[in-house]
Amino acid sequence: MIRRRLPCFILLISGIGILAALRGENEPSAFADDVPRAGASNSIYEKEILPFLKKHCFSCHGNGKAKADLSFDKFKDDKSVYLDRKTWDGVRHMVETREMPPEGRPKPDLAESDAALKAIRGLFQEFDRTAKPNVGRVTIRRLNRTEYNNTIRDLLGVDFKPAEDFPADDVGYGFDNIGDVLSVSPLLLEKYLSAAENILDQVIVIVDPPKVVKQKIVAMANKKFKTNPNPNDLGGQGTFEEGDYAIRCQVAADQAGDEPVKVKLTAGGKILKEFEVKGPSSKSTTQEVKVRMKQGTVRVSVALLNPTVDAKEGTPKRAIYLRSLETEGPFDPPPPPRSPEYKRLMGHKEGLAPREAAREIVARFAARAFRRPVDSDEVEACLALYDDSAKKGRRFETSVQIALYRVLVSPHFLFRVELDPADTPPSTAYMLGEFELANRLSYFLWNSMPDDELFALAAKGELRKNLPQQVLRMTKDAKSKSFLESFAEQWLTLRKLETSSPDPKMFPTFNAALRDAMIRESQMFFTAVVRENRSILDLLDADFTFVNAPLAKHYGIAGVRGKEFTRVKAPPGRGGVLTHASILTLTSNSLRTSPVQRGKFVLEQILNTPPPPPPEDVPELEDQTELKGTLRQVMEQHRANAVCASCHRRMDPLGFAFENFDAVGAWRDKDGDADVDASGELPNGQTFKGPDGLKKLMRQNNTLFVRCLSEKLLTYALGRGLEPYDGRAVEKIVDAVSQDDYRFATLISEIVKSDPFQMRMTGESK
Amino acid sequence: MTPRRISRRTVLRGAGATIAVPLLDAMLPKTALGQTAAAPRRMAFIMFPLGAWMPSWMPTGNGPDYTLTPCLEPFAEYRKDMTVFGGLTCDKGYGNGDGAGDHARASGAYLTGVQVRKTAGANIQAGISADQVAAARLGDRTRIRSLELAMDRYRGTGNCDSGYSCVYEHTLSWRNATSPLPTEVNPRHVFDRLFGSGQTDTQTVVRNEIRASVLDAVISDARSLNRRLGGSDQRKLDQYLSGIRDVEQRIARATELPPVDMPRDVSRPEGVPSDLTEHMRLMYDLMALAFQTDVTRIATFMVAREGSDQRYRMVGVNEGHHTISHHQNRPANLVRLKAINVFFNQQLAYFLSRLKAVSEGERTLLDNCMIAFGSGHADPNRHSHTDLPVLLFGRGGGTITPGRYLRYPLRTPLNNLWISMLERFGVPNARFGDGTGPLEGLS
Repeated sequence: MIRRRLPCFILLISGIGILAALRGENEPSAFADDVPRAGASNSIYEKEILPFLKKHCFSCHGNGKAKADLSFDKFKDDKSVYLDRKTWDGVRHMVETREMPPEGRPKPDLAESDAALKAIRGLFQEFDRTAKPNVGRVTIRRLNRTEYNNTIRDLLGVDFKPAEDFPADDVGYGFDNIGDVLSVSPLLLEKYLSAAENILDQVIVIVDPPKVVKQKIVAMANKKFKTNPNPNDLGGQGTFEEGDYAIRCQVAADQAGDEPVKVKLTAGGKILKEFEVKGPSSKSTTQEVKVRMKQGTVRVSVALLNPTVDAKEGTPKRAIYLRSLETEGPFDPPPPPRSPEYKRLMGHKEGLAPREAAREIVARFAARAFRRPVDSDEVEACLALYDDSAKKGRRFETSVQIALYRVLVSPHFLFRVELDPADTPPSTAYMLGEFELANRLSYFLWNSMPDDELFALAAKGELRKNLPQQVLRMTKDAKSKSFLESFAEQWLTLRKLETSSPDPKMFPTFNAALRDAMIRESQMFFTAVVRENRSILDLLDADFTFVNAPLAKHYGIAGVRGKEFTRVKAPPGRGGVLTHASILTLTSNSLRTSPVQRGKFVLEQILNTPPPPPPEDVPELEDQTELKGTLRQVMEQHRANAVCASCHRRMDPLGFAFENFDAVGAWRDKDGDADVDASGELPNGQTFKGPDGLKKLMRQNNTLFVRCLSEKLLTYALGRGLEPYDGRAVEKIVDAVSQDDYRFATLISEIVKSDPFQMRMTGESK
Repeated sequence: MTPRRISRRTVLRGAGATIAVPLLDAMLPKTALGQTAAAPRRMAFIMFPLGAWMPSWMPTGNGPDYTLTPCLEPFAEYRKDMTVFGGLTCDKGYGNGDGAGDHARASGAYLTGVQVRKTAGANIQAGISADQVAAARLGDRTRIRSLELAMDRYRGTGNCDSGYSCVYEHTLSWRNATSPLPTEVNPRHVFDRLFGSGQTDTQTVVRNEIRASVLDAVISDARSLNRRLGGSDQRKLDQYLSGIRDVEQRIARATELPPVDMPRDVSRPEGVPSDLTEHMRLMYDLMALAFQTDVTRIATFMVAREGSDQRYRMVGVNEGHHTISHHQNRPANLVRLKAINVFFNQQLAYFLSRLKAVSEGERTLLDNCMIAFGSGHADPNRHSHTDLPVLLFGRGGGTITPGRYLRYPLRTPLNNLWISMLERFGVPNARFGDGTGPLEGLS
């Protein structure tokens, strides 16, 4: 008999969360029907598994007992086992690694447990082989705040971030893009309305053309202006917009001899017109000139062109009398300057009638906003609002704006709608259409709407064919920043740092700048691993990281200046997210480290095997600041309690591996006066020393981590929690990633290729 | 680094002095007979998390003759306005077979009285909450049906509590079993929602006209879409549809109701103050202002989310609230827990002072209010939900005789208090959650 090598470095049962999630809910009835019937008489469970459980497990997990929330009582036949894959994965691990039954209980002999394990495996394989696939059904979901902001940015070309004012999105299964918990309230609808109004107001700036006005520059009745001895001009300042102006002057003249008085009319030094005026001065004449003016203020004036030169004393001299000088305009001003966003939104073919122009604008906008082709009925429905408004005499832009407003509050924009194809029976898996696929892809990798390239491919029906190239392009595109940072932030629970507050007296270096730098480090590190297509195992164990001056100082790295981040070689002991100051701080108490919280973080976020909550009447060690001895000694006392031991045996060693990092993640060799002991023994007997030792083990025994990251990323990609029937898809992803050196690009492309991503179940019969 | 002290900005400047404009009879709504109607009754449900160290909360004695405990000391001045309850229980806070997750349940069941469904996301389910029972029936009498306020901006990650979605801890208000109502935490947004964001009246009229026509149009989109969707998809779209109808009604009411009579010198808040005390007081200011101007008559407020690990350094507590709430009867923890409760109660006393400063006819605004203040936990150490700390302030427009300590049989449903309040608010015979009927002897 060959004993299988333990597949994971840590041994635990999980299943608690899923057990809990399933309790009280409807059995997935659509699915249940798809499960082939294994005759009750032929039950693998009853014949090959149940006897083993009765002998070794039922004293805590059966006959009404449910330690750690696990009871086998609810399993009656093979189908019920198959429907709860997560629990049975946990059971397999526990038996395989011999963590259960716990110490102090008789252990099954190897042959006995191997037979049981083989039976469990066989049961699942048999069902997997014959079951009709269930690809799940993503609930129609509204855009969350990030998606709304990004979509508006890509739709209109302006980064308004209107959703900052929206109520915070609720979180399910660890992420804020889960359709089931993203609800719509009256408050949110009010915010949608104001946001749409503000967005459109900012893009469609309605500029009135300047009004035509008469401007009196000079209105001097009968006053005589001599021009002797110099040809001084008469006039004043005039203000102009760009456009055509009529400039008029009323003048009279004193003639000297036969020669008429010659006059020039000038604006800004430029002669607009020259003319002759005959005397006597009691008879005035009006001259007008049409001229195109630029915007600005210039002097407008008339002046004598032929002043009397060297006239003798007493002889008449030529003179002009300016009675009035006025401007009228602007006529035919140039169109107001338009922003690129305006042109992009409101552009239409030249020379169309207003309604046709409106149709072109609205049709183009609706198709992009709804992220799919729109039919003419939909466009007409939007144009009905245009018509109403135009009838009321509102201007073109305003009426178009109202039609666009309607698009922005339509459920087709606010929700990501996937419709069942016509004539498909209930509970049938079907392939998503190309446009729906484009949407899934862009909201996964960009948190935003598809771009023109995706739309074009979808329109030609060629997106599915070109998926690998598109995934690569999209991951490299700057827009993937939103996905990478928000996934990293949520997976690693980085926002918790905002509420953690290390004691200011004990940790005086911790401040807002350092906190922000910590978050940034983890986001940049995650982004680098993805964009450089590294192994996902590098997330746990890498030789590089990113720091700026405050963080470098915190880590004891010399020579880094300024707020900007730079890539550095990871200092000894550090490297990988678990040794980032961010994670180390958010899993600490304000006064000291918490190995329990650190261990729990690893179990929950890195291995996706959350421990059950502590039993109600057991004191939490975390609060017992008065206990004697080092933290490790205190915790060992705690573990002496059998109730606590089963879980803390799993959590504590993981946490102790990081004891060389204090409660804000700075390196330390001593805790108080005692040397730090960062060694540990895992429940399976493997031992390690310090963070490097643990990381080495994690690299070797990586199955749980690869599965964990696959599950989290698939959850994020789908926007729904995973169900037992997704186990097959996850298994496939994990296998493919493991066989390709754990490349991140493979993980993403396998998720995109997976059935739950590519397909959807039609609804249950109504 | 010492905590920065930030002076309380006078955002609602001189609120105390200037809010106290006497309510003139002319401002009261007239009845059909042309007589002045009584001032309306208002109702607030305020929840604080993690209960209290009960011996320092529950008084000894009975009726009007009881001794004020240390936690209740901040209410000495309001003793004649206060009803102290004993014996009330939030049974659905307990697991009842659902295992761990008392914080999510204590919050989800507080105003609903139902066992919320244990799920991390799919098919979340609670029940209609007391405030929404009132809002559904009488919310159409004011500009805003109801106001939902909270303090926490942090949204948690994933399961907030042992397999329960965070949604149960993020709100007290459920419009129906599957529609939680989000809370506002930003005072500026609350102000804008109550009073508009400073648009002039003609602008508002045009805006509302356009809004109405747009809403009318998208309703038909949603209806035709709804016909093509299945189960949980339809529920989401129903939320959208009922939200639209709500906004439509609000627009229609805005034209029917008399203009809001804003006290002078009230200005729009800047945003979320960085100082927590100031933030909390500002939320109370806004609630008082909403009641005073009759923009709404129903409000809920979470002083902090259930299970919150907020550190109340301003009262010398450097450990997280949740952490010390598992006090294990250690004196140091009990002192801290008490300090937090006293802090919460002092802030509530501030709110009461605001309400009491406003005259309405013969009475004060506080007299016309029912301000319920309590927690879904009693002793947090063991997640007890029996014999909860619950107080009621105000006279409900003369229907309640405060100044007494009323003990009810242990395990009397908390919902029965909500039913009693709803009865006085104008919703008789309300039945929801685990309520069995109104409490005896309130008046």
